[in-house]
Amino acid sequence: MWRITWRRFCRSKLALAALVYVGVVALVALSAPFLAASKSSPIPFGPNEIDVANRLHPPDAQHRLGTDELGRDVLARMIHGARVSLTVGLIATAMSALVGSFLGALAGFYGGAADWIVSRLIEIVLCFPFLFLVLAIVAFFGPSIWTIMLALAITNWTSEARYVRGEVMRLREMEFAHAARASGARDYRIIFRHLLPNALAPVLVSVSFGVAYAIVTESALSFLGLGVPLPTATWGSILSSAKEFVEYAWWLIVFPGLAIFMTVAAFNIIGDRFRDALDPRSD
Amino acid sequence: MLTYVVRRLLYGVLTFFGITIAIFVLVHSVPGDPLSFYIGSHGMGSLSHAALDEIRHEHHLDLPIVQQYGWWLRGIVTLDFGTSFIDHRPVTELIAEKLPSTFILNFVAFLVAALIGVPIGLWSATRSGRTSERASGVAFFLLYSLPSFWVALLLMDLFSVRFHVLPLFGMTSDNYLDLGLTSKLADRALHLILPVVTLAYAQMAIYARFSKSALTEVIRQDFITTARAKGATSAAVLWHHALRNALIPLITLLGLTLPYLVSGSVIVEEIFQWDGIGRLYFDAISQRDYPTILALSVATAVATLLASLLADILYALADPRIRLEGK
Repeated sequence: MWRITWRRFCRSKLALAALVYVGVVALVALSAPFLAASKSSPIPFGPNEIDVANRLHPPDAQHRLGTDELGRDVLARMIHGARVSLTVGLIATAMSALVGSFLGALAGFYGGAADWIVSRLIEIVLCFPFLFLVLAIVAFFGPSIWTIMLALAITNWTSEARYVRGEVMRLREMEFAHAARASGARDYRIIFRHLLPNALAPVLVSVSFGVAYAIVTESALSFLGLGVPLPTATWGSILSSAKEFVEYAWWLIVFPGLAIFMTVAAFNIIGDRFRDALDPRSD
Repeated sequence: MLTYVVRRLLYGVLTFFGITIAIFVLVHSVPGDPLSFYIGSHGMGSLSHAALDEIRHEHHLDLPIVQQYGWWLRGIVTLDFGTSFIDHRPVTELIAEKLPSTFILNFVAFLVAALIGVPIGLWSATRSGRTSERASGVAFFLLYSLPSFWVALLLMDLFSVRFHVLPLFGMTSDNYLDLGLTSKLADRALHLILPVVTLAYAQMAIYARFSKSALTEVIRQDFITTARAKGATSAAVLWHHALRNALIPLITLLGLTLPYLVSGSVIVEEIFQWDGIGRLYFDAISQRDYPTILALSVATAVATLLASLLADILYALADPRIRLEGK
């Protein structure tokens, strides 16, 4: 099944391009300490190297993407910002996927009271407008990369929970599940060994969308000044300082925004095409 | 139908209690009591112990936790959210003051998004499999992935800074009070354009995608094939059979959009300095104005709850299969 899905996924050139792009961003993020650190690295600036004499310098041969209001190299900051975006995106989504799959599986497998409680929980979380809950959690517990990831996980586990709940409900009535039960397997073994692995594909779709959500929300928080504390470079915080210099420094707006947009779009496209590839009706 | 509505309302009441408990627990799991917010926003040295006790008493913070919740719940039901820590006015008054600006902005954005998005989505569903359908699908996705704060900055850079055709931010110009009636209206309309565009483009993409998949779903069904087989023209099939069924799922989307008329958007209102609910919330968050944060969290969550109730009931009215489920 995985091979068929993969082949159908590959039919979309856009999806492949998005996958390659995400791979490149991940490589850049991983190698950031070597790519942009000091005079001897390929990009001869560190992310926090202040050079006030060259502040708000437009892009040229030396500063490929210009400098910000403190003369820091924008390209170097963006390379390091990729680390923050990907870390937050992946870890926050991993947390929400774990919690969501677990609760969704319980609700789907046991039905009845468990299902009722989980469904009400989902309903409650979904009642909060976008950003309201995230902002409240981050403001109350102090902005740090961990509170941000926690806040994102708390607001986003519901989509995985709903996917898994539906899948497990469908799968538990299938013959292999009955066979497992008949051969004496305990509930947790049926859920975790037999049902959840089969529900993995739809969860991956939701994870892909989840990463996009986490990256854009983290950037929004940094943009609003409630993100990962300064001076850590993030894409959102570069844009945030660009706010003050709309008139003078277009490069501060264009490049980090483009980075956020392309990464978010890539994860969304991967999720969408993967969902299509899983759907036997679409061809 | 009545039993369905009653059951749905009962769930709504339960969810309401869930919402209030969730907010209450969240606030009380913060290290220190809410008074530390008050001190944080006023400076520690200015208050004596007696004064602190008085404030504690005034906000019922000296009571056991369950009674605190009771007082707070009573306040919510009677729409009394206490007074703001920052400017000492009743929070209800603050909300009532900011609500109209948020409502206007989001209502216009909603109209623009729905009136453009739905027809485009329906149109692209009828072109299934063609290049234009695929291209529009990708375009919706890219639009939807554009971060709104970036779009806002780009629009400001382009239309306000470079071409000077639209105001940079705010709801009215500095000389607003000196203008005549028509110029006042024009001034307000000009200030609306950029925030509306920023709010509407992503919503439009969602509306388009949603109506497209709804119509595609209907077109695949057997009764459409039957209608075609009986010799109905494609236009007749589309207008009489498919479209009416495809519009039902849009009710769900409406239920998801309505709450924004009340809650607004923190990002857009903050960037364009639009004096509405989203900005009030953001200011409350940055100044740790605990009564305002609590009030707005509850009020917007309840608005969402009511909108989803409304959507469910409308859905049941439009589609008998829903309300007969479980009978």
